Amino acid sequence: MATDGYKGLSRPATVILIPAFNEGDIIAEVIRSIHAACNYPILVIDDASTDNTIIQAEQAGASVIPLPAQLGAWGATQTGLRYAMRQGYEYAISMDADGQHEADSIADLVKPVAEGVADVSIGACTRRGSALRKFAWILMKQASGLALEDITSGFRVYNRKAIRQLAGWRATLLDYQDIGVLLLLQSKGLRIVDVEVAMLPRINGKSRVFHSWLMVVYYMCHTLMLGLSKRRLARRYQTPQAAH
Amino acid sequence: MISIVTGIIGLLVAIVIIVLMRKDSLHAQHGLGWIIVALGFALLGFSPEIVDAVAKYLGIAYPPVLALTLGIAILVVKILLMDIDRSRIEVRNQRLVQRVAMLEADLKKLNKSLNPQSNKESSNNDDQHS
Repeated sequence: MATDGYKGLSRPATVILIPAFNEGDIIAEVIRSIHAACNYPILVIDDASTDNTIIQAEQAGASVIPLPAQLGAWGATQTGLRYAMRQGYEYAISMDADGQHEADSIADLVKPVAEGVADVSIGACTRRGSALRKFAWILMKQASGLALEDITSGFRVYNRKAIRQLAGWRATLLDYQDIGVLLLLQSKGLRIVDVEVAMLPRINGKSRVFHSWLMVVYYMCHTLMLGLSKRRLARRYQTPQAAH
Repeated sequence: MISIVTGIIGLLVAIVIIVLMRKDSLHAQHGLGWIIVALGFALLGFSPEIVDAVAKYLGIAYPPVLALTLGIAILVVKILLMDIDRSRIEVRNQRLVQRVAMLEADLKKLNKSLNPQSNKESSNNDDQHS
């Protein structure tokens, strides 16, 4: 599984994964800000961008996985997790490419996972977002039974156990990184915690989901159906998670 | 008259399916199911009394309802099976796309370590977004 052809080389145990789609204007700045805050290697997963995202990311010092077809934000993130699995990384940090997540918060987010308190930590910013997003969170929490604050946040730290689960086939069936991913992790007995972090407004672009009503309606129906269909599974595994 | 037309349609569909299989346009695995449906269609077309007899046995006053209900049920099951199959193919396709991308990243890294000079040239993505 970890036959990557680079055995024997020492490598950092942590990698930062950034799924990006047409973020050429901002990706270099985001990478530079992360480099300024920490020295983890950065892996940009280009979701078949039509602009110069790949070149910008490489010039800023990141490695790039260029997807030949668009898979969406979760498909791109999963590619990074599969790569992290193959390369033998212990921890993977996922961040958005739009400059929303502050690199300074990485240390706080890594802490519970590195200390073994949790398998996954989610950078939660409950202050952010419109009334629509907050309403969506409430609905999602009710439907899925998840007791997490910021279900939609893409700012997360996964340990090796979580990476292994999310690199598998079952996770490929998912379209978004929220309820489906979290329920899958909980069903495997992994512990997930929220860590309150500050988030900046998007420097560039807009949410790939929360930008049109039609998209939001589809997303909510899709997510609620997934949450409800797997709810019992979530409840069954919620007790060990709540104990931490 | 209508029974002959229905029977002929069934036979024609069966012939079309065999032609498609001969031309490799239809996988034999799918063709088999369709042949059975088409032959069943032809059988019921030429001998509608089969439906009448079964409907009478089941206590259905209007026999065509039985044929229609069964037909719709078979279609729903078939469409559901197609969606299940499609989900499987989507997952396989997505994982292949991911694998290709990972291999490309590895290849690029390998090229870079072997030949640092050609790094800039190789950063142009020639076949993306296909």
